[in-house]
Amino acid sequence: MNAVVAGRTYEGRAIDVDAGVSAAAVARAVRGEDVDGVSVSCPSPTPVHDYVGLIPPVDAFDLRGALATTARALGHEAPQREAIEDLRTQLTEFEVDGIDVAAIRRRVAEAGDDEAHLRERVAALRGRVQALREADGETAADAEAELESAITELSEVETERIAAEQSLSRAEARERAARDRRERRLELADRLANLERGARADLAATVYDEFTAAVATLPGDGDAGGEPGEYDGDAVTAALGVARVAPLRAPVVLAADRFDDAATAADRLDAPVVRLPRP
Amino acid sequence: MLLVVTYSQAARTTLRNVCRSHEATVVRRFGRAALFEATELGAFLALRLREKHGSEVQIERTTPLNEYEDVPESVQEAAAAYEKRDKPSTPYAKFAAGTDHPDPERLDASEL
Repeated sequence: MNAVVAGRTYEGRAIDVDAGVSAAAVARAVRGEDVDGVSVSCPSPTPVHDYVGLIPPVDAFDLRGALATTARALGHEAPQREAIEDLRTQLTEFEVDGIDVAAIRRRVAEAGDDEAHLRERVAALRGRVQALREADGETAADAEAELESAITELSEVETERIAAEQSLSRAEARERAARDRRERRLELADRLANLERGARADLAATVYDEFTAAVATLPGDGDAGGEPGEYDGDAVTAALGVARVAPLRAPVVLAADRFDDAATAADRLDAPVVRLPRP
Repeated sequence: MLLVVTYSQAARTTLRNVCRSHEATVVRRFGRAALFEATELGAFLALRLREKHGSEVQIERTTPLNEYEDVPESVQEAAAAYEKRDKPSTPYAKFAAGTDHPDPERLDASEL
């Protein structure tokens, strides 16, 4: 491994960095991101690095996930693997033909509004024609023509509203069928999530003895218990235990006071290490 | 009330969060569905879900059923009589045959 931090060059499997740079920045550089003032050339990080690339971990440490990933890196396979792959394929190929019912709903609402307005207009015109007729038969002609045209328009709008409603009920019937498909897809997705959970648990169990041994020998207080759910201890100890068990070629960025120097840490973790003072 | 039904894991999660943070507007929750109050706030929450998850969210407006108002007497009577049947194993079709009670096909074909 070769690292350049704040203009200084470091080399070797174990590096102690004392310059004013954050551990998170070094970890990002290890992942290949562009980081100001830090560059690290090393083998590409593997998925286990998502869990132990930076110790202490930033988020809550997902011990079961970390151990499952470690087990995979060590070549273990979950018994659920085939079923999981099969379900994933089914889900990617699962298509649901949706239709934009919103546009049709809007059309129905607008047609309904138009119709209501026209009805009011027709009623008002009728009243006016009536009043004019009573006053003087001759002058009602204009108003009558207006009424006539409003009535025609109303009947057109009514036809449009009925057509829109029919098209909405057809669309809703199609949506109902599409919802059956969506429900089926959700069932598959739930089954997949269950299998994945089971696979993680099974994989984590395959390396739990190694993890227990690692926690017992590494510095820090942690009691592994019989399974990941029973682990009792801090996140740093758990992450170190996983790092010890996992095959790591990219460095672990360590900002925890657990080892005297990077060389000791690299030796005990059996992994390349960049060590920084604890912030 | 507004019935909101979700059809994906993401939509279900959003619904769960909405229910958690708007207890007063959520009348009832059932797994991946919920009943919201028929208020503008209820509609606002339902529309937010639809905006975010599109057709993975179904929204229906529900009303309580007043059977004495909305359901023909023949149907009310048939339901009451069938629940008082002598043999629990008698299917409704057989129970209704030869009586004044409507047969299942007729019930199925009649809109409420």
